[in-house]
Amino acid sequence: MRAINRPFLFLLIGIFGYGVVLGPFTAYMKHKPVEEKLGYVPSVNLLRYVCADQKEFVGAALLTKVMMYFGGLMDKHDPNVVTEMPDYLGMSNMIHNALKLDPYNMDGYYFAQSFLTWDVKQYVIANKLLDYGMKYRTWDWYLPFFAGFNHAFFLKDYKKAAEYYQRAGELSGDPLYFSLAGRYMQKSGQTDLAIIYLSMLEKGEKNQTVKKNYQIRLAAFKEVRRIELARDHYIKVGGSLPVTVDTLSRSGLLSPPPTDPYGGQFYIEADGKVTTTSKFAFSKAKSNNLKKSGEPDERD
Amino acid sequence: MLSIINISLKGIFRDRIFQGIMALAVLFLFIPSAASLSMRQATELSITLSLSLISFILLLLAVFLGATTIWKDIERRYTFSVISLPLSRTIYLIGRFFGIALFILITALFLGAVSLLVIKVSSSLYPPSRAIQWNSIIVAIFFDALKYIIIVAVAMLMATVGTSFFLPIFGAVSTFLAGTITQQVYDYLQSPSAQKVVSSVVRNAAQLLYYLLPNLSSFDLKVNAIYSIPLNPSGLSLTLLYFIAYTGILLMIASILFERREMK
Repeated sequence: MRAINRPFLFLLIGIFGYGVVLGPFTAYMKHKPVEEKLGYVPSVNLLRYVCADQKEFVGAALLTKVMMYFGGLMDKHDPNVVTEMPDYLGMSNMIHNALKLDPYNMDGYYFAQSFLTWDVKQYVIANKLLDYGMKYRTWDWYLPFFAGFNHAFFLKDYKKAAEYYQRAGELSGDPLYFSLAGRYMQKSGQTDLAIIYLSMLEKGEKNQTVKKNYQIRLAAFKEVRRIELARDHYIKVGGSLPVTVDTLSRSGLLSPPPTDPYGGQFYIEADGKVTTTSKFAFSKAKSNNLKKSGEPDERD
Repeated sequence: MLSIINISLKGIFRDRIFQGIMALAVLFLFIPSAASLSMRQATELSITLSLSLISFILLLLAVFLGATTIWKDIERRYTFSVISLPLSRTIYLIGRFFGIALFILITALFLGAVSLLVIKVSSSLYPPSRAIQWNSIIVAIFFDALKYIIIVAVAMLMATVGTSFFLPIFGAVSTFLAGTITQQVYDYLQSPSAQKVVSSVVRNAAQLLYYLLPNLSSFDLKVNAIYSIPLNPSGLSLTLLYFIAYTGILLMIASILFERREMK
């Protein structure tokens, strides 16, 4: 009888101990430093040999890890408050490693394009990655489409942008890209092009976290476009450039007043360009992130 | 020989190792939901996961069955009764090999059919941007099975000289790992940067190993299957010939060693 009870007793003690440890353990895991959560990945040169014939699987696993990490951070906060900074440098390294293991994986290029440009301002790194992908995904029009947008919108290299859009047009057969190539040659319609670009990405996105990011950015650009239209109308009627966005609202050309979803204030620059104090990013995320990565803003 | 193949097959189906490893096939059910995590290539991810799972299951089966079959027969003294029959040891060994090889092919066929079903479900839920090349997936699974049949031959070769199952199991796993990277190492050693850094002795030794070890990377067609990249028919034919020649050599060495092995 005693022999039967003893294992049962130890089992109960074990379950009790597990219950006691579980709370603090879960709390510890929840507040673990970001770098530890994303984890350390050995050199890709080593990984390449260790993962034998499972390179595509390991590549996909690394990308999933980055996306779940980022998705977890984004889900925590409401769109206007950033409580924890994503480790963009770690994310970028992991995506680069994953794409060296499987250079065909579209998720890597797509995800890297979304945060390397808008959030981290590393346009050259993003473009190099896209160029690398184009060597493998020779059929894919998305990669030249992204590269074209980066060159035109961020780097103001319209000639290069036109080349990429020409290539996107040839691969997709869609006349839209040929028309974009023409417009980039003319250096016009920046906001419209950003809206087209973001609408296209938002429409095809099924990851709710990333989709939400696109929706916020798209809403901001639509507000900019509304201000631009009011500005043009103001110039047409009054013959001069409005000094502030308030001027447009007060004159009845801009109703309701524009709201920046990133929490910034829209303003009109001396040359008439409409921009915002938020620079289309949540301010806290932006400044801390750049400090973290230790890399300069290429746009400045 | 047919009766040995038949006995081998029956034995494997009754084996607990087989049943345990096949339990892993339950993971196929989770592939469509796991693939939904992908942002832009859910179907491609489901193909990646399916092929990886098949590859992993076949690796386990090849290593454990190839390494333990002969060893178990010797341990349980079944070989004594076989030796007393009017049957050469070579026939016994080859029969055992074909039994396991046939089993690997049957398993690949079964798992392949399940994975095609899983990929079909995923592709109907998340239509891919590029049409799936079903032929490429089938060819990739077939060549994966051939790769693991080579591993079976390696494990059996080691089992003919080993006195325990450690040598065949670890030998087969090491050969598998080395066989998947020999081509990369060879390519690197041919590059101008390696010519400067690596000594000629190391280069020659590596080149010798390149020809001695099985080149398993040529059997890996996952990229073609996942991203619908066209297959090279002449390359596939050469790989098939390489498989026949290399496996034949391994089996002949194994049978020579097994014939000379002292049974106590």
